[in-house]
Amino acid sequence: MIAGVAVLCVLSLAAPPSAAQAPAYRAPRTANGKPELSGIWQALNTADWDLEGQAAAAGPVPSLGAVFAKPPGLGVVEGGEIPYLPAMAAKKKEHQANWVKLDPEVKCYLPGVPRATYLPYPFQIVQSQNTILISYEYAGAVRIINMGAPTKAPADSWMGWSNGHWEGETLVVDVTSQNEDTWFDRSGNFHSDALHVVERYTPRSADTLNYEATIEDPKIFSRPWKISMPLYRRVEKNVRLLEYKCPEFAEELLYGPLRKKSSN
Amino acid sequence: MIRRSLVSTTTLAAMIAVLLIAQAPAAGQVQSPATKAAPPKATPAGGKSWTPPRTPDGKPDLQGVWTNNTVTPLERPKELAGKEFYTEAEMQALAKQERERLAQVEDEGQPPANHSGVEGAPADDVHYDFSQFGLDRGQAKLAWNRRTSIIVGPQGTVPPLTPDARKRLAEIRAKAKGHEFDGPENLPLGARCLARPNVGPPLLPSAYNSNLQIVQGAGYVAIETEMIHDVRIIPTDGRPHIPESIHQWYGDSVGHWEDNTLVIDTTNFTELTPFKGAQNLHVIERLTLADEDTILYQFTVEDPGMWTKPWSGELPITKIDGQLYEYACHEANSPLANTLRGARVAEERAANKSAK
Repeated sequence: MIAGVAVLCVLSLAAPPSAAQAPAYRAPRTANGKPELSGIWQALNTADWDLEGQAAAAGPVPSLGAVFAKPPGLGVVEGGEIPYLPAMAAKKKEHQANWVKLDPEVKCYLPGVPRATYLPYPFQIVQSQNTILISYEYAGAVRIINMGAPTKAPADSWMGWSNGHWEGETLVVDVTSQNEDTWFDRSGNFHSDALHVVERYTPRSADTLNYEATIEDPKIFSRPWKISMPLYRRVEKNVRLLEYKCPEFAEELLYGPLRKKSSN
Repeated sequence: MIRRSLVSTTTLAAMIAVLLIAQAPAAGQVQSPATKAAPPKATPAGGKSWTPPRTPDGKPDLQGVWTNNTVTPLERPKELAGKEFYTEAEMQALAKQERERLAQVEDEGQPPANHSGVEGAPADDVHYDFSQFGLDRGQAKLAWNRRTSIIVGPQGTVPPLTPDARKRLAEIRAKAKGHEFDGPENLPLGARCLARPNVGPPLLPSAYNSNLQIVQGAGYVAIETEMIHDVRIIPTDGRPHIPESIHQWYGDSVGHWEDNTLVIDTTNFTELTPFKGAQNLHVIERLTLADEDTILYQFTVEDPGMWTKPWSGELPITKIDGQLYEYACHEANSPLANTLRGARVAEERAANKSAK
């Protein structure tokens, strides 16, 4: 058994990373020879509702009826379950019970990584040699991925600090220094400021990418865990990312009680 | 005692001095052909033969982190009417003045005078010293140029409003009067973290954090403005504007390359555009790499319903070291809540007083 593991290790060290994942597909290249990931992409799943998957259920606003009810989904967590430390599992349940009140998405706060990827909005990758910019339609969130020598975050932030590199066909992004105020989904799955995310974007066809994120946070989880999903290119003619400046839509919720009472 | 950590006065003075020597002639080189009154080019270096660096796909490489921080006002001050450019000596005097202003702000143990705006409040009631956090515009790199106003031409001012626009804006003001703090929607767009006038387009300097980053990918140029993490992704692949019926705070930008210049055309603004409340705003911007550290930024805005004629401006955008910081505005917008809360408290007090 141990020998077997050792052999596997040697194999994975020896084989080029691209061969280890055996992608059948080779993406078109940028002018400097890297896989071209530029484009407008979107997840097509229910990960933002619940990473672990769920049966359909009524939504939080009865008057909306079938609109904004919870859609069913199979989940995107490898192995099915998120390995919470026992005390943290309780906190997650508390979040879930108070979802509408506590979820930063409801308030239009910046989403953090990886949630930004699978929110039900498109995002655009603008790929350059030393810098990859990802602009998310939701809340106008943005991150800059540094493709040069890795650098350290000057401060914690909502969208974190991203250092990227290429492993064959795959863009690997190491994300640190996210604050503790973002969630993973509308089911209260959460993390601390010790969150470390490693994302892998691998082209799998002209119009799809494989997206994987390994999530590590020893304050919250008993071990690292992984989500994976395909991302789809928005292929509509003339497709564009549009403005979704949602602070305006959260104003009644956040500031309504501070509004001047009508005098009559 | 407050220790300013970001830039010491001495460093700043040295920096400005260097900038003056290095930048002023450069600014001389980057005047648009339209500005015939441009001062003569001071150095032969960086003349017409200069070719800008290219991206791997052969486009001029505008990428990097930049600032359009400037002391040049948008409109020309009255006392400078008819004078489009400072002389070299006047520029130096201006820089000296800027240094002295900052030195004064930075004097230790001198909290600024009453900044709270509340009559009779003690001077230290609200401590509001931008330089303490490195946010005074004089503490960051300045894109010097010899223009007396960003707006070009002999007038150097925004042309007069049309009678219709005057009427419309007066009505909006009258309607807003007395309701400035009724609810979040009555407050300025910037205070609501929705949009800022500096993002434009046109891109204009803001009081601080006038920083932007440009990233170029295949068929797109992205311009991220630090405040409020706003990204304009400008297609240069011939994509048309979005449908006329869709309006956005920052409009819709499409671009194309003309030799070394990125030309951006922006339409589809909302009726409440942050830019001076123009309803049918159309903006054309031109970004030209003038030297490795300078983009000449030129713009023309028009809205026949708003102004009696189109107007144009230009200013240098200069390269800076470092990166943009995340300006998460809405996520910690306690000023908005506090403003509304304060207004409710004031109303309650007034009601109690009149009930007595």
